[in-house]
Amino acid sequence: MTLTKRLGWHGLVVAVLLVLLYPVVWLVSTSFKPATEVISTLALLPREPTGDNYAEVFDGVGEFGVLHYFWNSLVISVGAVVGNVLSCSLAAYAFGRLHFRGRGPMFGFMMITIMLPQHVVLIPQYVIFQQMDMVNTFWPLVLPKFLATDAFFIFLMVQFIRGLPRELDEAATLDGCGPVGVFRHVILPLLRPALITTAIFTFIWTWNDFFSQLIYLNDAEKFTLPLALQLFIDQATQSAFGPMFAMSVLALLPIGLFFLAFQRFLVDGVATSGLKG
Amino acid sequence: MTQSVLTGTSGATEPPVLDGPPPTSAARGRRRGQGVAYLFLSPWIVGAALLTIGPMVASLYLSFTDYDLFTAPNWIGLDNYVTMFTGDERFWHAAWVTTEYVLISVPLKLGLALAVALLLNRPRRGVGLYRSAFYAPSLLGASVSVALAWRALFSTDGTVDGVLSSVGLDTGGWVDQPQYALLTLVALAAWQFGAPMVIFLAGLKQVPKELYEAAAIDGAGPARRFLGVTLPMLSPVILFNLVLETIHAFQAFTGAFVVSGGRGGPSDSTLLYPLYLYQRGFTDFRMGYASAMAWVLLVVVAVLTALVFRSARRWVFYAGENR
Amino acid sequence: MGRMSRRGAGGLLVGLLSLTTALSGCGAESADGPVTLRFVWWGNEDRAKVTRAAVDEFQRRNPDIKVETEYSGYDAYFQKLSTQVAGGAGPDLLQLDRATVGEYAGRNVLADLAEYTGKELRLDKIPPNLLEGGKVDGRQYAVAGGATTQMLIFDPSHFEAAGVRVPTAPGEKWTWAQFAEAMAKVGAAGQVAGTTDFGWAVDWFEVWLHQHGKSLYTADGKLGFTADELAEYWEVIGTMRAGKGVSPAEVTTKMDGSVQNSGIVTKQAASEIGYDSAVTGYFGAFGPNLALAPLPSDVAESGMAAMPPVSFAVSQRSKHKAAAVKLLDFLLNDPEAGKLLGASRGVPPNEEIRAQVCSSAEGGSKAVCDYEAAQQDKIGPAFGAWPTGSSAIKRDFQRTYDDVIFNRVSAADAAKRVVQDAEQSLGS
Repeated sequence: MTLTKRLGWHGLVVAVLLVLLYPVVWLVSTSFKPATEVISTLALLPREPTGDNYAEVFDGVGEFGVLHYFWNSLVISVGAVVGNVLSCSLAAYAFGRLHFRGRGPMFGFMMITIMLPQHVVLIPQYVIFQQMDMVNTFWPLVLPKFLATDAFFIFLMVQFIRGLPRELDEAATLDGCGPVGVFRHVILPLLRPALITTAIFTFIWTWNDFFSQLIYLNDAEKFTLPLALQLFIDQATQSAFGPMFAMSVLALLPIGLFFLAFQRFLVDGVATSGLKG
Repeated sequence: MTQSVLTGTSGATEPPVLDGPPPTSAARGRRRGQGVAYLFLSPWIVGAALLTIGPMVASLYLSFTDYDLFTAPNWIGLDNYVTMFTGDERFWHAAWVTTEYVLISVPLKLGLALAVALLLNRPRRGVGLYRSAFYAPSLLGASVSVALAWRALFSTDGTVDGVLSSVGLDTGGWVDQPQYALLTLVALAAWQFGAPMVIFLAGLKQVPKELYEAAAIDGAGPARRFLGVTLPMLSPVILFNLVLETIHAFQAFTGAFVVSGGRGGPSDSTLLYPLYLYQRGFTDFRMGYASAMAWVLLVVVAVLTALVFRSARRWVFYAGENR
Repeated sequence: MGRMSRRGAGGLLVGLLSLTTALSGCGAESADGPVTLRFVWWGNEDRAKVTRAAVDEFQRRNPDIKVETEYSGYDAYFQKLSTQVAGGAGPDLLQLDRATVGEYAGRNVLADLAEYTGKELRLDKIPPNLLEGGKVDGRQYAVAGGATTQMLIFDPSHFEAAGVRVPTAPGEKWTWAQFAEAMAKVGAAGQVAGTTDFGWAVDWFEVWLHQHGKSLYTADGKLGFTADELAEYWEVIGTMRAGKGVSPAEVTTKMDGSVQNSGIVTKQAASEIGYDSAVTGYFGAFGPNLALAPLPSDVAESGMAAMPPVSFAVSQRSKHKAAAVKLLDFLLNDPEAGKLLGASRGVPPNEEIRAQVCSSAEGGSKAVCDYEAAQQDKIGPAFGAWPTGSSAIKRDFQRTYDDVIFNRVSAADAAKRVVQDAEQSLGS
């Protein structure tokens, strides 16, 4: 690889990034604008930069300190990650590799479940959690993940499993592994990129999820970051957009770091060939 | 390949998802495999039975009623469906807006995701940081702050208007004009291409290196290597991204909701189908009607997905099944 | 009920849904023992702080009643409230607005307050004008949580620059022609439109209708106006738009009644029609250099009314209605609560407390108190709650007006469509 080629590559990447990240820069820069500039100007840079918005956020949001909401979001997101990685990989292995009666219809049904708009199943689901006395706890947000209700990730893993050479399973079977053994010793290690992907997406999407957290959490004590964020905004009265932007930026940091930390596991991938011998 | 996943006949001994003759070893362990399979599936089965099937059936039932959220539903037969197809101009308008949105945003988003994934799929210094930077827009989700940023970007005298004006294109602000507003939502969707990009990247990592080496020995250039190795090996992931992004685009709600303040304006130009469904259900208190709309959407999306799966027989290649 | 759906989990759920609705009002009042109430509202953090302080005071005085509070922004509030009520887990005391009082009362969600009025619930200090806003079919389902009225808020510097005098003194008034002329002058003189186009909101059309002896809805919940009347109204505004008297389509389409999108705050208009309960919001986002004036009228009646910016209601399904009413009465009538709540929901509805709060008001609140005092004899009785279906009408009114300002359809055709849609929404 020549130096010019390499520099050209870096140049291209940076140029595309400059365009794509402009709105992100705008958002961060707006968090440093004083209240009077936040709504009334469109400019990229604040005329009089201020840290007041951040100071206000650290003074507390609602009745609690900002770290309280970070903690709640973290608990729910980590719970969701564990749940999705466990339950979806199990289901994906069954759909992708095992033979059983009713597999086609069941897979079809699973795909159907992601096609129905959530708003019409919201109330029946709420009734179920209400009957189980789980409203106003973290359960409605975490339990479904342990029950593999995110068909997206099952399908994702099924697609990866179907791409794995079947000779590997067979070799393990000849070595005396049953389906459980094949799953543990062959599929799971090879599925790592898909598992990492699932973990990353689940974490970020749960972290940002507003709607179900809004519906199921009542006490401010249980509020998460997205819920705390909307405490700054009210159409009908006066909104505090400056602190909201500041808190949005703060809320981005953990998921940004999470992504940065975990994306490196995507890089290595898996040397499929190495296992073949 | 056998029938599509969605039209697969039930109870068939030959599983419709996979194709080709089952491996001999699997045939031996099939009986035992049955029970184990259900064991692996048990969380999913419990979840479906407890949390999914009930609400789905309930919403199907409610679609034949006048359910208004607060009083007991009354059976009204097909009235909701008849009104929808014959007496509701906005239903057709919303369906059209959504079709436009899907047709533009899905190819754009997937194209961007694939291009950037290919660009980043090489061992270079700083590639991890770049990857994260490209993902950054997707970290933001569709929050109020993103909506405000978007409005600032695309309003009159905003950044985009300024740039376009400087090259002589005087379009005015996009968010405030019916003929352009939908494009801002398309741009928002395409801008957040991080998820399909990551999935493409993960797929690219799975392509065995020896295939490239073999192709290189055969004297294949970069284009031939891409068409002959990368694309076929990536096809299961392309299928996944295509199906999922299409389904998501049909259900796009939050972006339209926050950017248009929940209204779908200006002049209904961003009234995506799910947004109209939401308005019907929650602001008009006509949840029966909204449920009927949801089931119509489901049927349309399911048929489209089935068609994609059917076509996939011709263009998707599974390394684990190609024998 | 579909026989088929009776079977299986779905049937069970539908059964549960019916049950949650059928059981309404059956909850036995448990008078003894500690009681836990849930009280919900929408609003910003300032409103939350003072409301929670008042609730704390209430709990201090009533140790046997525990109050759990929840609040959020407007959209989120109603998403959640609808789900909770539909799921049978609604709050005991809730905050509603103009359209939702009718929507919720019409669907048996709210308790009729008649049996408490005059006893646990004292309404004698609340002006009868204001109480009208909480009545549906003659029954009191909600009580104003504050008071507001229509106003024109304006930036005097633009009007001075254009040499236009706005009538702000008590008793002073202006006609629609004078109003249109003033706005055109301001629009011609400066960079901004005279006023934000006000054709989008059904609220201001309602004022116009009252000036013409009509109303938005009749007493029995029918549509109170014709397509011709709406077409005339929109055509009057159309003439103003042509002369830069009102804001252009690109600005108008963003309006949603919120301060952040307001034409004044975004510096695209020199004035704006609104409710005076929003004045503190305007002052916060724009600065205090704003003044208030009455709406124009060609007749003796101003068309303006004493309106509840928010109303409080007790859930029909509450198991603790008596306790909820007690809290409501405390919020409305207790001097201590009044002091704490201040003007967080418009000026206080209770006249004695209003006088007390206004005597020490400053900033935006003072501007509102002064304005309400100056306009006192022009402000008529509240227009009454809107019927079920009004939320859809309010929204369809605005989206159809979008088509007018973007020149996609004539005002006359648009008006016909609004009437058509509205009759459908009311019929459902």
